[in-house]
Amino acid sequence: MWLIMVAGVLMAAFSIGWLWWGDQNVPSKTETTTTAAWLAKVTAWAGTHGGMNRAVVPPGEEGYIAAVRYGFIPETIVVKAGQPTTLNISSVDVLHGWSIVGDNQNISLEIAPRHVFSATITPDEPGTYLVVCNEYCGLQHHTMKGRIVVER
Amino acid sequence: MAYVERIPLAGASETVRDCPVTGLRVWSGAQALTLANAVAAVLALALGGLFAMGVAFTRAPSVELLGSDSFYATLTAHGVAALILWPIFFEVAAIVFASSILLNARVWSMALGWLSFALMVAGAVILLVVILTGNASVMFTAYVPLIADQAFYLGYLIFAVGALLAIVNFCMSIVKARAEGTFSGSLPVITYGVACAAILALFSILSGLVALIPAWLYSNGWIDSVEPIVYRTWFWGLGHTLQYVNVVAMVVCWYGIVAFGFGAGPVNQKFTRIAFILYVLIALPVLGHHFLVDPSLGTGVKWVGGTGMGIALGIPSLMHGLAIMGGTEAKIRHSFSTKGLFGWLGRIRWSDPAVACLTGSLLIFAFGGWSGTVQTTLQLNMVTHNTMSIPGHLHQTVVGGMTIAFMGFAFYLVPMLVRRALWMPKLASFAAWAYVIGMLFATSFQTWAGALGVPRRTWDQSYGGEAPGNWDLPMNLNGIAAGVAGLGGALFIVIMVATLLIGKRTDDPAELVPSALK
Repeated sequence: MWLIMVAGVLMAAFSIGWLWWGDQNVPSKTETTTTAAWLAKVTAWAGTHGGMNRAVVPPGEEGYIAAVRYGFIPETIVVKAGQPTTLNISSVDVLHGWSIVGDNQNISLEIAPRHVFSATITPDEPGTYLVVCNEYCGLQHHTMKGRIVVER
Repeated sequence: MAYVERIPLAGASETVRDCPVTGLRVWSGAQALTLANAVAAVLALALGGLFAMGVAFTRAPSVELLGSDSFYATLTAHGVAALILWPIFFEVAAIVFASSILLNARVWSMALGWLSFALMVAGAVILLVVILTGNASVMFTAYVPLIADQAFYLGYLIFAVGALLAIVNFCMSIVKARAEGTFSGSLPVITYGVACAAILALFSILSGLVALIPAWLYSNGWIDSVEPIVYRTWFWGLGHTLQYVNVVAMVVCWYGIVAFGFGAGPVNQKFTRIAFILYVLIALPVLGHHFLVDPSLGTGVKWVGGTGMGIALGIPSLMHGLAIMGGTEAKIRHSFSTKGLFGWLGRIRWSDPAVACLTGSLLIFAFGGWSGTVQTTLQLNMVTHNTMSIPGHLHQTVVGGMTIAFMGFAFYLVPMLVRRALWMPKLASFAAWAYVIGMLFATSFQTWAGALGVPRRTWDQSYGGEAPGNWDLPMNLNGIAAGVAGLGGALFIVIMVATLLIGKRTDDPAELVPSALK
């Protein structure tokens, strides 16, 4: 009985403690915007960083992504391996998902209009990673995808 | 007929009979209302199951049965029919049954009862028509600003009002039964559980109205915008609280099955009642786990409302699971001489369809509890959110747990209500086991697919060939397992309809509710 209680307290402590000590927490930095302002901001940023199809985040800078039916702007975003990179993501129409998928790794965030999610990632393996929308967003939902390219 | 004189029959044209199995007094009005809701429930289940086949065979990449537009319409219809219409119709049948027949009483107002039934049927028909005509392919969650034809929201609202009226009728029936002294002491444990479900249902429907009324006004242009995060919060106040209505109803069916099949009761009445109350206390704030990866709530709120509460919810389910199995074991050990630790299991007639359902429901619901505990963990939710893990979890709980428990209880409830023996019990046993095994495998394959990252709610998972190659196998296997479950489910519907129409008329308790012990 005592053993169970001690185990329960320990597990609760780990579960809460992980919020401070863990490296894989849900990003907690958010801010609000408007859909028009976000679209303008992202297109302007992409325009100066390589274009709507493929934009590069230089080391030390932040990246900007807009989810829009049915794709991501920029469609491919390039980041440096080993470099902590902050990606700011919001939707300009309905709810979307932003999910990096692939073998043994899977990160999924809910992307809502008027809310910006700031996720800091440190990619360690160079390669091309598929990003899909995994919140149903309309009849062409299954065509909505993007990519993250991690360069050495 | 002595008891009829004790109860004033002002204006009532009802007849009354004694149930040959339970000895309870069954009023014709309560019987008709229970049966009508149960029949509507079975019809909704049949439709939900049919749509499920469309979904599962489309998600199997080797089959891809439907086109994308019809897939999204079918998936929406599947969610509405199987997750809203089937459970709520069955639960209304259960609350009518528990507040009248189980208390030897009449329904408080038959007029209100039929009005609630008519509204629910009307709402259901509107919902299904507008979805199947392709005007509301927004999934049953209908997250704004995704917008459907306004008839979709109206259908939802009419259905919800109907269900609310049924809850009013339930409460008043208990008050009236108490006043007339048709039962004494505490409420029977099944009615008690159903009352907890009704409290949860009340909160869930009210929060559904808060979500859906603005969405409806937005869909017809009366208001300009609805904040999607606020809608999500209220919607899950409906959506997930409702699942705890389902869980409580499922547990009630477990107790019902062991009571009729084994003649067993809870090990300890107080223990069971506390567990029911815990559901009500813990389930209300638990909607937090839907927002673990949303850009809205703070981390503290997410942890308390999602992770902490989510894990705490395992406690009452565990208590009930132990009480059910313990009660059965105690009853069997008391009645027979058994050998060893597990000898009592040998006394159970495993070919009984209700036993099959009870076993499957306990087992698959336990898996659902475990997968839910994983998904409600803040960090792990980032891995599982909106992948096939989520349908894996919800089919383990809502189908594996709830639907199978309802089916099991229906094997007793329907024959007793219509006084006809179950049609072809051997086929019923096959149907139940096929359904249980099919769902056990289907949900496991869904969880497996989710672990590989396969998204839910998508028509095509190939993403133009960019998707990982290991995504197709679990989804194809899921199609096969879903087909097996579909066969069992279809047979269940046939057996229920045949029992209603051509089952052998009898008043022999041994034929209506055969013992599940040998």
